Amino acid sequence: MQKRSDDRLVAYLDGELEMAERREVEAWLEADPAARETLAGLAESANLLRAAFDEAMHEPVPDRLIAAARGDTAGAQNLAQILPFTPHWRDAGRAGAWRRWASLPIAASLVGLLLGGGAGYWGLGKLWAGGETKQPAIETTAANNVWLDNAAGYFKLYVSAGDNALVDVPASGDTTQALQKISQSLPHEVRLPDLKPWGLDFRGARLVVVEGRPAAQLVYTTDNKAIGPLTLTIGSSKQSDIAPTFDHRQDVNLLYWRHQGRAYALVGQTDIGYLWGIANDVAWQLDAI
Amino acid sequence: MSVRQNLAGSPLRLVAGDGSVSNQFSDQLIAVLPRLRRFARGLTGAAAEADDLVQAACERALARKHQFEEGTRFDSWMFRIVQTIWIDQIRARDVRKEDAEVPEERLGSDEPVRRVEARLALEEVRRAVGLLPPDQRTALLLVTVDGLSYKQAAEIAGVPVGTIMSRLARARIALQAQLAAGSGVRRSRKDAKAQ
Repeated sequence: MQKRSDDRLVAYLDGELEMAERREVEAWLEADPAARETLAGLAESANLLRAAFDEAMHEPVPDRLIAAARGDTAGAQNLAQILPFTPHWRDAGRAGAWRRWASLPIAASLVGLLLGGGAGYWGLGKLWAGGETKQPAIETTAANNVWLDNAAGYFKLYVSAGDNALVDVPASGDTTQALQKISQSLPHEVRLPDLKPWGLDFRGARLVVVEGRPAAQLVYTTDNKAIGPLTLTIGSSKQSDIAPTFDHRQDVNLLYWRHQGRAYALVGQTDIGYLWGIANDVAWQLDAI
Repeated sequence: MSVRQNLAGSPLRLVAGDGSVSNQFSDQLIAVLPRLRRFARGLTGAAAEADDLVQAACERALARKHQFEEGTRFDSWMFRIVQTIWIDQIRARDVRKEDAEVPEERLGSDEPVRRVEARLALEEVRRAVGLLPPDQRTALLLVTVDGLSYKQAAEIAGVPVGTIMSRLARARIALQAQLAAGSGVRRSRKDAKAQ
């Protein structure tokens, strides 16, 4: 009988009992101080147990396991050869930029952003451009292949799931509180950039694991297939800052940069020009520049 | 259920004939790696051995990915692979995990006493888990540590839900007894030092 009681107490604690059984256990607990004490002890030991094995969830996953998961038994430690995206307008000056943007099929809202938020846009472009006066045509960056592969992979995972895509933080409800929950698993707070001026609606956020570390994936969608869907992956990084760098892999475009311990990747199938403009906006809003 | 569990518990949708299938599979696998490592560490009691186990599980999963049933939980499938390999290993070796003693030199370190005590308490918990029979240890790690339901744990272990329930209760009671005994030992150790 006692053994059966232990079963029920543990199942009660684990939320595995039906309502009627729960009531029975609660009545029993109310009448029996020893049972209450046992329950308190069980709850305490459960917390200790989780804490004892929590370490593995916060340490970086070894590269050999990432490589094994990718089927690369040789290790896949090589760094990416990335072609930095140097927009033509940066070299040609603002007149060239205007011609480039004027040629794009930009929606009215987008034009509004360029006119209304133009100062921010050009200011940021200048800051980024000014921070790196000379860039080699091709440079080997410290960007990790795995990081970019993961960011691209999660984008594709979202797209291929279609309407069945799951998000941990849906756009409806209290997004702020839900994002705080995701932030608890990250070394930094996640803030939500507003991309409505681009016609992009926040669809939700997920906690993902990029290069073995937790990261946030923010998902934006739009009816404009020329732009969306887009995901913004924000993770932590111990590597030095780099300016936005373009990469193309797994049939998707990425604009990737690092700033003050955080790594950002804007991922989509949209044109590089759009990505560049949206990345400017994101960086401006998140102080990620 | 935690956010992390939600993610890795997503049903995996395979797209036949698409080159992205392999990437999607690997992405899902990478997403669940931290949980697999935690599970494996609880089973084996040693970090390096746990990573070897997870690596073997990844290799087996990739080799048998055609056996994964679309629409079922990917994390459960992976937990089952880890558990199966581990059971095979302990059967093949026919060894029992040795009782891992707390290294005495740590007791004399410069760490603040409270932190040392907290760390020792957690080490004691890990050691107590290592003393449990394999089936109880598995149930405990899947349900109490990873937060899976009894039904999911039963599917992974290949036993009825009632069996998981009783294994879990035995494990939890045994763990409490071990911890109570351990803290008694620790107290008497401290008393002895104080004298």
